[in-house]
Amino acid sequence: MEQLFAIQHAYLIPLLPLIGAVIAGFFCTGERKTLAHWPIWIGVGASAILSLSLLYGMMNLPHVEGKGLSYVQDYYSWITTGAVRLPGGQHTFNVGVSYLFDPLTAVMLCVVTGVGFLITVFSAGYMKGEEGYSRFFAFLGLFIFMMTNLVMGANLVMLYLGWEGVGLCSYLLIGYYYEKPAARDAAKKAFLVNRIGDFGFGLGIMLTFLAFGTVSFFGDTQGTDGFLNMATHSLNAFQQNALKWLPFLLMLGAFGKSAQFPLYVWLPDAMEGPTPVSALIHAATMVTAGVYMIARCGTVFVGNEAAMWTIAIVGAFTALFAATIALRQFDLKKVFAYSTISQLGFMFVGVGVLAPVAGVFHLVTHAFFKALLFLSSGVVMHAMAGNLDMRKMSGIRRVLPITRWLMLIGCAALAGFPLLSGFFSKDEIVAAALQRSTVLGIVMLLTAFLTAYYTFRLYFRVFEGPEVVPEEPADGQGHGHGHDAGHEHEEVEHGKHKHEPMLMILPLVVLAIGALVGGWLNHDEGMARFLGQSPSFIASARVLQAQHELESAGGLELAAGYGQHVELSARAKETTQFFHLRVMIISGFIALCGIGLAYMLHLHNRKAGDALVARYPLLARLLERKYYVDEIYQAAIVEPLRASGRLFFGFDNRIIDGVVWLIGFIPQGGGFTVKLTTQRGQLQGYALTMLLGIVVIVWIVLCA
Amino acid sequence: MQGIVLEQLAMNLAPAVADAQAISPLLIVVLCAVAGVGTVLMLPSRREAAFRKIGGAVALLAAVIFGATLVRFTAKANDPMGLYFWIFGAIAIFGALRVVTHRRPVYSALYFILTVFASAGLFVLLWAEFMAAALVLIYAGAIMVTYVFVIMLAAQAGGGELSEGEMQSREPVASCALGFGMMALLLYAIFDRAPAALAPVTTPITEDLSVRGLAHYLFTNQLVNLELAGVLLTMAMVGAITIARRRLWSAQSSDQTGAQGIVIGDDDPHSIPVTGTTDPRRKAYPEA
Amino acid sequence: MTELTLEHYLAVGTIMFAIGVIGFMARRNLIIMFLSTELMFQGIAIDLIAFGRYRLTSNPEVFFASQAFVIFVLVVAAAEAALALGLVVLLFRQKQTLDPQAWQELKN
Repeated sequence: MEQLFAIQHAYLIPLLPLIGAVIAGFFCTGERKTLAHWPIWIGVGASAILSLSLLYGMMNLPHVEGKGLSYVQDYYSWITTGAVRLPGGQHTFNVGVSYLFDPLTAVMLCVVTGVGFLITVFSAGYMKGEEGYSRFFAFLGLFIFMMTNLVMGANLVMLYLGWEGVGLCSYLLIGYYYEKPAARDAAKKAFLVNRIGDFGFGLGIMLTFLAFGTVSFFGDTQGTDGFLNMATHSLNAFQQNALKWLPFLLMLGAFGKSAQFPLYVWLPDAMEGPTPVSALIHAATMVTAGVYMIARCGTVFVGNEAAMWTIAIVGAFTALFAATIALRQFDLKKVFAYSTISQLGFMFVGVGVLAPVAGVFHLVTHAFFKALLFLSSGVVMHAMAGNLDMRKMSGIRRVLPITRWLMLIGCAALAGFPLLSGFFSKDEIVAAALQRSTVLGIVMLLTAFLTAYYTFRLYFRVFEGPEVVPEEPADGQGHGHGHDAGHEHEEVEHGKHKHEPMLMILPLVVLAIGALVGGWLNHDEGMARFLGQSPSFIASARVLQAQHELESAGGLELAAGYGQHVELSARAKETTQFFHLRVMIISGFIALCGIGLAYMLHLHNRKAGDALVARYPLLARLLERKYYVDEIYQAAIVEPLRASGRLFFGFDNRIIDGVVWLIGFIPQGGGFTVKLTTQRGQLQGYALTMLLGIVVIVWIVLCA
Repeated sequence: MQGIVLEQLAMNLAPAVADAQAISPLLIVVLCAVAGVGTVLMLPSRREAAFRKIGGAVALLAAVIFGATLVRFTAKANDPMGLYFWIFGAIAIFGALRVVTHRRPVYSALYFILTVFASAGLFVLLWAEFMAAALVLIYAGAIMVTYVFVIMLAAQAGGGELSEGEMQSREPVASCALGFGMMALLLYAIFDRAPAALAPVTTPITEDLSVRGLAHYLFTNQLVNLELAGVLLTMAMVGAITIARRRLWSAQSSDQTGAQGIVIGDDDPHSIPVTGTTDPRRKAYPEA
Repeated sequence: MTELTLEHYLAVGTIMFAIGVIGFMARRNLIIMFLSTELMFQGIAIDLIAFGRYRLTSNPEVFFASQAFVIFVLVVAAAEAALALGLVVLLFRQKQTLDPQAWQELKN
């Protein structure tokens, strides 16, 4: 694999976007501000081409049975320490800037850089005329750099570097409109909630080093073995103990980054950022980092039944929870934000029920259609002068004809319309869930139903029906961006497509194509087999196999969830296929039901929909208010912290400063007292004092 | 003269008296305390005269006891001059006490003169005849005359009545306590040993102990100091004149006539301010 | 009578000195205050002469030195008396009183 052109120049994949970011940030100021997108286009574009080349190269490598496809390239020795005595012996903490190349990395890279590039193209049109144009692109480039580091990192610390880096970029980009207090608060909220998860992750990294003496995944060129490999062999007592807790610590980080309950509250607020940011970071790439991390470190997870069930249950709960909230949201971007949380729950379920390949598959398809949906919302927002409230617009298909079809494709894919990409990926997860636990499967089916319903509720309300276009400009709430941009569009583009500039539509078309045909990526288990060559999955499957009997079909299925090629008897094969077909039919049917219900209540007879809501006002209010989770957080966590902060401030202010004041006051007071008693201005008083001194001296000299 | 001197010297060459007793410090303290109480009572205050007399009696008692103790301090060796010591000493201390405790300043000055005479007598006993004469001349003759003049000045301007300040003393208890405390300490230090005899003389004194000898010593060993003393006196004279001279009054002084510009006060020694005004031009006496 | 020793004279001088100190502090009349300082000088003079006399050896330098000392003490006392009385006159002109408590500008 070393001979691949992409591998030889793999360091360019993170480097070019970084250079682009530096150029855009530092050199494209003032008059050159409008050129800021070029360095990013070139950088991210080149990165995307290299990633695709890597993927293509890897796919064409001969598949050696029993041996995985991976390659580690060390670039630089970053951290080295002396010997540290650990329970397992003496080790040194070595972290190098090294990158790991395997199918999982390749797939993630393509998603990140590919979708990233399309979004940078879109942003050039969307953000035209903004004050901080170059700043936006610089941060975008920085984000791509960090994200590629994350997915390419060959050890936990490189991954953590990228992890924190994307968190930083998320903060910078959410707070892009920093003059808005809501944006500032949202940025802080995102960073802080992420931090909670990162705390767990950091502890996990430390525990890994303690237990295994290395943080490298699969070893480096010096010959040290990676901990993921070590976990497949026999373990000493300390390591076994550590593996009971390690998954939970790492899981905490994944929940924070990927917005699972209860650390999801930052994602809806993150919609304060510009729409391309929401698309790229909070739909397609950053929030999937948690899924990637669990897939990568699967070896330490699979042995721990409790951990896997925790992941699955939390994922399922989050999916259902977020879907119910999305039923009553009116802001376009908020609906999609909760939808993202819900779909991430799907991915976690996939990973939790021992089918990470399905989870990654859903990750890829979700990136396509979610980015498509968010960017379309951006076009709508542009056209409606910053307005994103569903209640204020209706039937705008005449105003935005192309966007309407693109949005339809995206919504259908999200809803799981049969034969679209979302259908296949969701079906894989539902099937795997049903196999592990019927309850879980039913919950996922219910969530799929709700997903279809709320997605098409949005579509039918906004694009179909009688035409109602809001006339007045947005009142600064929501996600308004410069009015200049809106006006410029109307001047530049004339005619029927005056709200749909080419720069913004073209990437959407590409994404729509991906959303349509993306399901065929896994045709004949193609993607599964390809991913199965990743050493992460091979090792995880090996651990599973060591734990379960392989005679039963269920055991074999487990390995298949990891993309491993499993020899099944003919009968077992038939049973599996039939099962899959049944699940497909059921899920397709459920999706259509959801779409139909949405049609009934939001297009055919809107009044019925409103009446239904009026029948259950309390429930509607509860959902609309997001179950008051934010308020609960505020009251239970934020306010007590603030109060304790005030308490400590008061303590510091009054007591500690009081002590200091007292120390200052004592000499002052003493001096004042002495002054009052001795400095009375009377000559004879002074003489008296002098005499006292003389008496003392005489006493000392003569008598003592 | 010389012979007498030598004779006295020989007589006083006796070794230290054998059966002397040190005065116990407790006795000193008690006596000082009692005397202190007496002095407090004696200092001017608003109380009736009877108190003052009682105080005087108490102090006298303490002094007598102390005197008796002093007598016991040394054994008996005949010294015909000893009697005069007791007389002069008593007068000196009595005079000192009255200086401090009398209400009227003129009397204080007169008592001081009495004290000076008593001190002169003690000097004579100590073979410092010249010092005795100088003391009387300078102190009683010059300094006290100046004091009396100033007292007259102030008393006349004050209208002849006892001012508020003279009726009362300031913190008598504290002053007496500290003063007598110091006295007790010093007396303790003095008496905390066997009495010091005269220093032994190994070879007879050939020098003249009289005024001639002192003059010789002054004008050879202390010549520079002598000249400096003269300079000091001249400086003091100049200074005194400068201080007490009438100043140039400026326009913003308390000039009741409201004259413009600088008014030069006169240096007429007859110009004495009349009670109630500070106007230098109001004179007590008619123009001479 | 008893033999007179150094301590006798010293006692007298010390007592006079102490009385002078008390007078300086306890009287509210400027002139009496300065008179008390003269009294202190007196006590010191007695002490000095007594020391000189009782340290007399074949070399009478000490005695003469003490007398010279006292002469200079007298000189200083005279100078001081002159200046002090000049000041007293000046101060009296300001406030028409001899009470030292009338001048408290140094308060605090």
